Amino acid sequence: MSTLTISDAGPAVTVTGLRRAYGRRVVIDALDLRIERGEFVALLGESGCGKTTLLRALAGLDPIQGGRIDAPGKPAVVFQEPRLLPWDSLWRNVSLGLPERGAREAAAAALAEVGLGNRLDDWPRNLSGGQAQRVALARALVQEPELLLLDEPFAALDALTRIRMHGLVKELVARHRPGVLLVTHDVEEAIRLADRILVMRDGVIAAEHLPETTADPQRFRALLLAELGVQGSAAA
Amino acid sequence: MSSLDSSFGVRRAATPQAPAAAKRVRRPISDPPHRIGTRAHVALSWIAPVLLIAVWEWLARIGWVEPQVLPAPSKVVATAWKLTLYGTLLRDLGTSLLRAAAGFAIGGGIGFALGTLVGFSRLAEALVDRSVQMIRAIPFLALLPLVIVWFGVGEGQKIFLVSLGVAFPVYINTTLGIRQVDPKLLELGRVRGLSTALLIRRIVLPGALPSILTGVRYALATAWLALVVAETIGAQAGLGFLAMDAREFLRTDVIVLTIVIYALIGVLADSMARLLERRLLAWHPNYGAAR
Repeated sequence: MSTLTISDAGPAVTVTGLRRAYGRRVVIDALDLRIERGEFVALLGESGCGKTTLLRALAGLDPIQGGRIDAPGKPAVVFQEPRLLPWDSLWRNVSLGLPERGAREAAAAALAEVGLGNRLDDWPRNLSGGQAQRVALARALVQEPELLLLDEPFAALDALTRIRMHGLVKELVARHRPGVLLVTHDVEEAIRLADRILVMRDGVIAAEHLPETTADPQRFRALLLAELGVQGSAAA
Repeated sequence: MSSLDSSFGVRRAATPQAPAAAKRVRRPISDPPHRIGTRAHVALSWIAPVLLIAVWEWLARIGWVEPQVLPAPSKVVATAWKLTLYGTLLRDLGTSLLRAAAGFAIGGGIGFALGTLVGFSRLAEALVDRSVQMIRAIPFLALLPLVIVWFGVGEGQKIFLVSLGVAFPVYINTTLGIRQVDPKLLELGRVRGLSTALLIRRIVLPGALPSILTGVRYALATAWLALVVAETIGAQAGLGFLAMDAREFLRTDVIVLTIVIYALIGVLADSMARLLERRLLAWHPNYGAAR
């Protein structure tokens, strides 16, 4: 894993004037976004605000109707579900799409990083939800992506597993230093993980925050919730 | 099939477990409590068939059933031995198996190719599927007279009929299997930048395999049925020929023998298909043995 040779300089992705529409319904319009290498960006927003649409456009899964997306490499994606191939062993899952030569070694190293180095030949059906999502994470990192897209990857996990996953992701991102876009609706998660928090509303980025610089976490949380349309700061 | 299942039962019962202690000790759920042991159950289930054959043998020996109507089981076994020694039985069996294999390969190949095409392409579906479904509505054995007009009563007729019977179940299940592949996994393949060929090999075919194998198992049964019908009409060799030739001379022992062989091969083919499923679908919770 010699990522250290890649310098942190330069953007992992640059988006200018992005437009995304389903038929006549415009979901995203004139959106600009830049994520640096090694930067962890969380994208908060209510359901249906367009955050997953943005992620899918960045992943190249959906066509865009205007603007440009410039990314130096192929982005890696972790979805809400692990999406493991049930007919392939864990190492075959992790190395999916890699050249055959050295695939097993690369997969073994990635699985070891997520604590599953002894389960190379196991089947996905023998994994718990958290373990399966760790394999999905290993599969994304084995690509050595410059842009890592996380689409609510912890939403389906139980609270304890989610906290452990936060720690693991933070550690892995610090080591591999891709640019990260985490789509979530969990304010705590965003604060815990991100260097920069974007709040999306009606297809545009409505607010931007740097959690490091906030003096009062309590008020910051309330502010974010208010921006998401939750009044009265229930989170204490 | 049932003999296959019960043989597993024997294996499970063979794990040491003292019956007296078992009453108090809590046992895993996978081992259901039973009043009679599994071994005893297997033995019991064999009583009726063995008794039936014994009665048949006895009735034949005392002359109550004429040999021309139904020969004694022992006579059938003796005939099997004799025909094997002459070499005719193996030759005819080989001929029949070869026909079945050829028909299966051709029909299965066509069914799989068309099924794959239609499974992938909406255009192919629009062009092909309706015709296939219309032809499928015909009971394929009803085509026999027409097939004889086309091919005569040679090998072509038999192989054609078997192919016809095999092609449809393979086609339908292949199409169905491909359609049922999880679109989320296909999306994953695209995110990973898989080429179309790799996407098919790594995601589509493995995902469709359970359904395809179901089609293959069904096709095996159909192939065998088609062969029996095709061979019964104007064959110069093969099991059907053996039976029809024996009919001329009222050799019911030979006829019964061919019937038994047809049954045995049917069972064998089915268990081979099951073995294939257990091997290829080891990852699948419903098939493979847990690793």
